[in-house]
Amino acid sequence: MSYDRALSVFSPDGHVFQVEYAGEAVKRGTTPISSVEDSPTGLCYANGLKPTKGTCAVGVKGKELVVLGCEKKSTMKLQDTRITPSKIGLIDTHVCLAFAGLHADARILVDKARLEAQSHRLTVEDPVTIEYITKYVAGVQQRYTQSGGVRPFGISSLIVGFDKGSDVPKLYQTEPSGIFSAWKANAIGRAAKTVREFLERNYKEDMDREDTIRLSIKSLLEVVQTGAKNIEIAIMAPGKTVEMLPMEDIETYVKAIEQEKKEEAAKKKTGRTPGTGSAAILTRPGGSGSREMAGDWEWQKNGGVGGGAPEEYGIWRA
Amino acid sequence: MDTLVARYSRPTYDETVTEDMEEELLDPVASGLSLKFAMPPVAQPSSWLRSATDDRMNPDCPIKIAHGTTTLAFRFQGGIIVATDSRATSGDWIASQTVKKVIEINDKMLGTMAGGAADCQYWLAWLGMQCRLHELRHKRRISVAAASKILANLVYSYKNMGLSMGTMCAGVTKEEGPALYYIDSDGTRLAGNLFCVGSGQTFAYGVLDAEYKYDLSVEDALALGSRSILAATHRDAYSGGFINLYHVKEQGWEKHGFSDTNPIFWKTKLEKGEFTNVTSELV
Amino acid sequence: MCTDHGCASFIDKAYRCDQPEWAMPHQAEARLRVDEPHEDQLLERPTHLQHTKQPFPGYHQKMEVLLGITGKDFTIVASSKAAMRGATILKAQDVKQRQLNKSSLLAYSGEAGDTVQFAEYIQANTQLYSMRNEADLSPSAIAHFVRGELATSLRSRKPYNVNLLLGGLDPITLKPSLYWLDYLASLAPVPYAAHGYAQYYCLSILDKHHNPDIDLETGIKLLNMCTDELKRRMPIDFKGMTVKAVTKDGVIDIDFDDDKVVKSA
Repeated sequence: MSYDRALSVFSPDGHVFQVEYAGEAVKRGTTPISSVEDSPTGLCYANGLKPTKGTCAVGVKGKELVVLGCEKKSTMKLQDTRITPSKIGLIDTHVCLAFAGLHADARILVDKARLEAQSHRLTVEDPVTIEYITKYVAGVQQRYTQSGGVRPFGISSLIVGFDKGSDVPKLYQTEPSGIFSAWKANAIGRAAKTVREFLERNYKEDMDREDTIRLSIKSLLEVVQTGAKNIEIAIMAPGKTVEMLPMEDIETYVKAIEQEKKEEAAKKKTGRTPGTGSAAILTRPGGSGSREMAGDWEWQKNGGVGGGAPEEYGIWRA
Repeated sequence: MDTLVARYSRPTYDETVTEDMEEELLDPVASGLSLKFAMPPVAQPSSWLRSATDDRMNPDCPIKIAHGTTTLAFRFQGGIIVATDSRATSGDWIASQTVKKVIEINDKMLGTMAGGAADCQYWLAWLGMQCRLHELRHKRRISVAAASKILANLVYSYKNMGLSMGTMCAGVTKEEGPALYYIDSDGTRLAGNLFCVGSGQTFAYGVLDAEYKYDLSVEDALALGSRSILAATHRDAYSGGFINLYHVKEQGWEKHGFSDTNPIFWKTKLEKGEFTNVTSELV
Repeated sequence: MCTDHGCASFIDKAYRCDQPEWAMPHQAEARLRVDEPHEDQLLERPTHLQHTKQPFPGYHQKMEVLLGITGKDFTIVASSKAAMRGATILKAQDVKQRQLNKSSLLAYSGEAGDTVQFAEYIQANTQLYSMRNEADLSPSAIAHFVRGELATSLRSRKPYNVNLLLGGLDPITLKPSLYWLDYLASLAPVPYAAHGYAQYYCLSILDKHHNPDIDLETGIKLLNMCTDELKRRMPIDFKGMTVKAVTKDGVIDIDFDDDKVVKSA
């Protein structure tokens, strides 16, 4: 085998740059190649890797539901938003996936996941568990970091849902390197760090439906400027398929949140009374945040691929 | 399975073989399941196998496969009873009287053996491996439905290639309760309460069907399973030897003896007055 | 076809393992001799298929009963409950039907193993279509997809030996439909249909009594006339029927009296 066929090779200090660049694509929704001329193949645009401003997605677990929130891409005047594909997709009736990164790559990944979900039903007579399909998606992503002649998926995904017969909400994240992890609440994509920090400050255990949806929208509003029109909310509950929150409902949430923010700002201006509730909420809790351990992936921390990823993706080294 | 086909249909000089191996390295499932069989160097392995083993079509065939058997399993309130005889025959010749026809797939699940002994032993051991792999991958026990389907899909992929199996998979899981599946080498897979398989099946069905109820007590169920095998060993020339009796529960299976049919037969006859057609004195 | 690299458009028939191509040169020749495909129902196994080892449907495959009846706003699909192997009824509560999506139902009979494998393969692909497109395939689309699959299968080394009835209701127009398919890949849209020996007894009854405007209750009455006749004249016990109907509310189970004793005239 010759070396030139493999795009993903180690650099002398142990980095796999293509995987790290894929991480950048997730953050920014672009490839590091800024123009066709820079691209060695010139195929960049043909692949749908048009440099655009990236978007953000959040997932929040409540007591008996799990919510996915998505920032919609800012659209052109003549684009038909109603039928432009969404960034939240169903993998099977009980599994929902939201992604950040390259749309075109995601379509392929989502399709593979759907095929696997049906194939699993066919062979085992049971629907996939959320963990299983996450592992599968992460597995596919990993494979594309280690084979010759392919490019890693420029995708991070949040996979949510309920296992058959269970009412325990599940929320997982996958990354371009093939790492997957379980969370109580998390954000991916543009400004994910800001949103994640917001979630870390404001997440509470066992939230009811209202609070979970509210927190999801509120966290998105940290980075989404244009309000309700650019937000999508999907809700999963035990034994049910996905429920997309209607635009009007999102609007009412957004209005309420904005109103609240205004009041808070006004309060701050007038009094700055020390020790009020809102200030207490905003303090950062101790510990490393809200990440949970996902089963037995301990090894990935030390020996996993993409160890030298940029800050956001390098959490494994922390 | 398609990769299997691909492997054999590709000429050896093809350089893409290396790529194929590379892929196998990357895909843990493929490497774990790959079945590398040496095919006999003949034009049609399946018809070659048939001519060598099918004694109905060719009485002089060199390899005689053990076919005669009675096996049974039934679901009831306390779990599942699995019972078999222990005779292996090769044509008219009794090859063994002490065959284990209950195959312990793992400590929770049992399989039974009818048809080709080698086929059953090999593929049920293979099934045990698949069940363990499923357990490791999914972090929980495999359902009996899934396990039986793995086996059914496997034998179906070898349909019309000479496999000969009639097997039952029995297990108890929290989600399914007692679960029983019948799988045969045609590719049939059926869930049910009660199955008898083998040349003595009709005799076993006769006794079992008459007294079977789901609410049977454990003691009665064990006795009924044992009595049904006895009936078959008495009437079917290809069944006999010992009664191998098991009880499957959620905690796992429990063995209830490997007992010689001969004393049991006489005990049944003399104490219960059954088998009256057999006289104990010379007339 | 591989599912890993995106070149599979459908769930593959992963479990149909064939022998290596090189191992059977004479079969490749046999396939070359096929000039025109026969897709009519034939009385005997076509000569161009005789190199395959699949036997012509045996009599006990024809003993399996499949019935379908359409009406003004429903399609009834019924199948016998007995699973037979040799001289034994292995199961008396078998359901020889698979629901494909909200508004279509597939009933099958034929070679052991092939039937369930094929039906579940079709089921998985229709469900995959629903997941991918957020829309169900219409009964007519499924029928033509199934026919295509049977036709390619028929010309492969290991054809599926399966006979089918596909009942459905168009999700938009709510028009009921019934498709009759056999293992030779014939496809016919019909108002009522049967497979196996049941055809000889039931079609004349339906010819006389069926009309397209009947309601569900009348449909079930017609089905009863058919099963009564089968109990009266068919020499085996098929253990009653599993009866389902596709209506505007989706696929519903229909209570059917299997225990009714029918005396001969």
